[in-house]
Amino acid sequence: MTKESIQLKVNGQRYDVAVPPNKLLLDLLREDLRLTGSKRGCDDSSCGCCTVLVDGVPQLSCVMLAASYQDVEITTIEGVARNGELTPLQEGFCVEGGAQCGFCTPGIILVAKALLERNPNPTREEMAAALSGNLCRCTGYEQIYLSIEHAIKKLQTAPLEAVPGDD
Amino acid sequence: MSLPPFALLRPRALEEALGHLAQHGSEAMIIAGGTDVVPNLRAGLFAPRALVDIKGLTDLKGISFDAESGLRIGALTTLTEIAESPIVREHYSVLAEAAATVASPVLRNMGTLGGNLCLETRCLWYNQSYTWRSSCGFCLKKDGDVCHVAPGGQRCWAVWSSDTAPALLTLEAELGIASPRGARWLPLDQFYKNDGMDRMRLAKDEIVTGVRVPARTAGLRGSYSKLRVRNAIDYPLAGLAVAMKLEDGVCRSACVALTGVNPAPLLVRDVPKALEGQRYSAERVEEAAQAVIRTGKPLKTSVSTPEYRRDILRVFARRALTRLWANGSGKH
Amino acid sequence: MAEFSVIGKRLPMVDAPEKVTGAGLYTDDLALPGMLVGKILHSPHPHARIRRIDTSKAEALPGVRAVVTGREFPNKYGILPIGHDETAFAVDKVRYIGDNVAGVAAESEEAARQALALIEVDYEILPAWFDAEETMKAESNWIHDEKPHNIEKEYHHNFGDVEAALAAADVVRSERFVCPEVTHAAMEPHSTLATYEGGRVTVWSSTQVPYYLHRTLSNVLAMPMEQIRVIKPLIGGGFGGKSEVCPLEVQAACLARKAGAPVKITYTREEVFYAHRGRPQQIVELTMGATRDGRITAVKARIVQDGGAFCGYGPVTILYSGALLGAMYDIPNLQFDGYRVLTNKPACGAMRGHGTVNTRFAFESLLDMVAEELKIDPVEIRRRNLLKPPCLTVNQLRVTSYGYPECIEKVAARARWTEKKGKLPFGRGMGFAGSHYVSGAANAINRSEMPHTTINLRAEADGTVTLFTGASEIGQGSDTIQVQLVAEELGIDLERVKLVAADTDRTPIDLGSYSSRVTFMAGNACLEAARNLKKKMCEALAKRWGVPVEELESRRGRFYHRNGTGKSMSFEEAAAVSIEEFGALEATGAYSPPKEAQGGKFKGAGVGPSPSYSYSAQAVEVTVDPETGQVKVDRITVAHDCGRALNPITVEGQVIGSVWMGLGQAVQEEMLYNQGRIMNPSMLEYKVPSTLESPPVDCLIVESIDPEGPLGAKEAGEGSLAATIPALANAVYDAVGVRITSLPITPEKILRALREKEKKKAAGNGGAP
Repeated sequence: MTKESIQLKVNGQRYDVAVPPNKLLLDLLREDLRLTGSKRGCDDSSCGCCTVLVDGVPQLSCVMLAASYQDVEITTIEGVARNGELTPLQEGFCVEGGAQCGFCTPGIILVAKALLERNPNPTREEMAAALSGNLCRCTGYEQIYLSIEHAIKKLQTAPLEAVPGDD
Repeated sequence: MSLPPFALLRPRALEEALGHLAQHGSEAMIIAGGTDVVPNLRAGLFAPRALVDIKGLTDLKGISFDAESGLRIGALTTLTEIAESPIVREHYSVLAEAAATVASPVLRNMGTLGGNLCLETRCLWYNQSYTWRSSCGFCLKKDGDVCHVAPGGQRCWAVWSSDTAPALLTLEAELGIASPRGARWLPLDQFYKNDGMDRMRLAKDEIVTGVRVPARTAGLRGSYSKLRVRNAIDYPLAGLAVAMKLEDGVCRSACVALTGVNPAPLLVRDVPKALEGQRYSAERVEEAAQAVIRTGKPLKTSVSTPEYRRDILRVFARRALTRLWANGSGKH
Repeated sequence: MAEFSVIGKRLPMVDAPEKVTGAGLYTDDLALPGMLVGKILHSPHPHARIRRIDTSKAEALPGVRAVVTGREFPNKYGILPIGHDETAFAVDKVRYIGDNVAGVAAESEEAARQALALIEVDYEILPAWFDAEETMKAESNWIHDEKPHNIEKEYHHNFGDVEAALAAADVVRSERFVCPEVTHAAMEPHSTLATYEGGRVTVWSSTQVPYYLHRTLSNVLAMPMEQIRVIKPLIGGGFGGKSEVCPLEVQAACLARKAGAPVKITYTREEVFYAHRGRPQQIVELTMGATRDGRITAVKARIVQDGGAFCGYGPVTILYSGALLGAMYDIPNLQFDGYRVLTNKPACGAMRGHGTVNTRFAFESLLDMVAEELKIDPVEIRRRNLLKPPCLTVNQLRVTSYGYPECIEKVAARARWTEKKGKLPFGRGMGFAGSHYVSGAANAINRSEMPHTTINLRAEADGTVTLFTGASEIGQGSDTIQVQLVAEELGIDLERVKLVAADTDRTPIDLGSYSSRVTFMAGNACLEAARNLKKKMCEALAKRWGVPVEELESRRGRFYHRNGTGKSMSFEEAAAVSIEEFGALEATGAYSPPKEAQGGKFKGAGVGPSPSYSYSAQAVEVTVDPETGQVKVDRITVAHDCGRALNPITVEGQVIGSVWMGLGQAVQEEMLYNQGRIMNPSMLEYKVPSTLESPPVDCLIVESIDPEGPLGAKEAGEGSLAATIPALANAVYDAVGVRITSLPITPEKILRALREKEKKKAAGNGGAP
């Protein structure tokens, strides 16, 4: 198949890559950009492990044709921490055990990040609703909620100059 | 698993998109959110030479409403936008409810109204990989000549699995369709064929541009009930939409539509007759519920049994009508 | 817990940071220059003889670098020494839909896929067996010629005098329970990357058992073990699904060797279902006898287990199903007849709670039925049948620590059992049940006398310590626990312990992450290694200070001379001195289960014995919609006796995760088959619960401080799974009065049972049927 040169903006960085039209964003991230934090857990877009943010909105990179997403900002799990510093959300997943095997964790952190940006103080029900498309086989979700609540608490007590949300 | 090869066309205007379709004919397919098309491409169910990605047609996005002409929703509006739209929630609650149950939040962020209304029909014997399907000699719908659900028949029973279609049927929606011959509006009720293999009346050179919902169905009492094993991600095993109008407890109009049980979303024709002009009574509700299970004809296309899906349709009908009607009558 | 510095603290897992940033690498994240894509051709037939395979067209396809079929690597393997019935690819027959026929390594996925389509296979279709009870009646066309009537193994155990006890019992109840096959569905699909370079094979694989994989590769490739290296990267969940050698692991190595290039195979989700090795379908016929006051006098179980087409862990599974009828309650007479049969379906194996789960569902359901008949409260009947440890059960399991009574009381109090049981309105109910599990098997499956785990420690002159362990972190936190134990024993900060794990070139042997053995066994080995390290450091200091070594002691990372000289030295300084004295500072620890824990001498006695057992009690509260049969689980309260919670965060994570996985099996998970064909091989149709069906789980920890566990610890990762299922079944009964004896407990089954009950009631009242 002929390749097309495309431009993508991932984690604030521009990438020029030549890809065939059937290249999925997930494969491009993993194979061409070597951003392997986005995972493949299924083949029918039902697990959520490949979630990325498209202009801040969680979407599944396993159903996205890479060439169709050139004029948007893509954020992967690798783009969450700033200068090597874990965000309160990532810290929450460490200290509250929200990541066990870690395979669903990138997708779940990105969904949680988007949630907190819209709603800085979600209830358990709101968290469950937001995360209902991201399966986790380890935690039973309980420690995931605790991890997000850790971030909520930390962000609420953060000094004023801190940027709202998770950045 | 990667996708089979195809050319990807990304038009920026409707005319351009129609041009692509006209040029490629039956070898082209439209893709928008990709949530239905991509997994099916991966499973080898579709093998288009060209995919026409219409996400660039920004005119097809958005929701508008006025009291005179009703509601308009562009085909590219996402299911999340519909579920969260204050307009839709206020005036056409059954649609907001239905949109909110589709798949999961991440999928609703991508999936579009147009895609949901043109969803491919589904069956356990069809939505499988090429290898899997080859192991049972394929099926009537794709690559084979036998139906495993109803062996001996020549009809495909793959099931209609969209949640928004039944809601829009109860609201008397019309579908906007564009083609090189111009634009037209088709009552949604006439769009579906109730055939698992050939599901809708859309020519290969046509594009669904959006829906319009008349002002007269604004403000109806509505509800959408959905049966599934898992409360997220899953398609409906049975779904029931209701929209009704009450005046002083008397039913002035009532519409019930089903999904997940037939090869098309279907209006239950006998419901208006059973309810209109009537005051709430358990007998009236039961008559409507009986009409529902005469219309819904589930077969073994999913992980749940036909018997249970019928049972639940009856419960859904009873409960939804009782809730909407009995409350409106000042009872309970 | 003031006696410890890092034990008992809520500490993050040591590998958490790389998991939350996406930096951590799983097998499929690895790439090597020149890496080829491996793909497998699977059988479309459940049972067929392979007459001929022609791979010439596939080999001729541009981009194809190797094609492998069964005859090239015919050596048989299997996880158990008694069950070597698998080959890298089918040699003469295919035995299930999805069986492995040939492998291709190609420069692109597309080329590999095209090559698969070009392989011509001539099959002679054979009659196939799909039903567990039918397959035992087979007179011909056996799945393996050497296994008559498709019976892989049968075991018959009889302890005490069951028939006499049943005859004398005040009440006897029997019931048949059916538990369909379920699967692990770990989020990470299996993946293996293999290279062949300079006569050596290196394999990175998503395995829970690097050592067994190492041995198997040596066997299949006919290469000595020293020419093979197995490395386990991060694992995206196992739950037992990666605890025996999976086909792709040997296939990738075969392809790499033939192609002379790196080959990676990553399963599609559908292939994960074929490789499977999940919990088998079991039909459990259980009989229980009891006295009027609720004392169990006899239990009799007949279990038929459909294990699929290969042996795998099957005999162990069926033995656990019988053996672990013991070690929970005091049962004086016990009979078990177990059959592990073969069918033309994917092979089953070990899944979290291995072998115990379906039996426990049956037992705890039946115990509630007996309690009801005797008008005894379900919690009370459990209290009346407790063991009195330390003790040896009738089937010779040694129970040392037993926190079950405390689990029962804690759960009953927290869940407000006495206020709720039987007192909630129709449609709401509460159920109770218990379960238990081994802390590792006391007998190694490879029947070797070597230690089950060996740990090496190496200290540097700056006081950092490297921990070399063969144990496999799979998300359960075992790396963290080992680091904690070493840091605690040495009295140093966690950050000073570096970890090298699961790399057969660098780390000593550990049998693997299965049967909840790592905390107990590797944990004890870590403590021993750390003590040995300190001993060496004392020897060095004694020499340096010119004092007898007996006069030295270490506390909290400092070494002291006891006899008034006031001499003391920090861990760092002592490490430097030791290296100066000895040239290197290294120590080893190992763990072998004690002889007394290894069980009886009868056939099959090897499975079930463990150095220690964990215990769990649970109360499940449900709301059942009597019109739809739908169950909403409102809350689960669980108490788990893990001996000592070395890290409460990981204990709670394991316990809640187990409960939740049990819930999935209880209400919505099931492998659906049609003529040997899996109907739901996908994450869409195999219904792993989403957040929306997942209730709050209130997790209480009970610490019985096991006399032999590392600092008193025992297992936490499996024992709580089983109780959730019967507790839920008992809750449904409490809510709407119907007893569901087959899993999953679907709305449809509840609705049907409710209707039958109505009918009976109507008939009983003289009404029309």
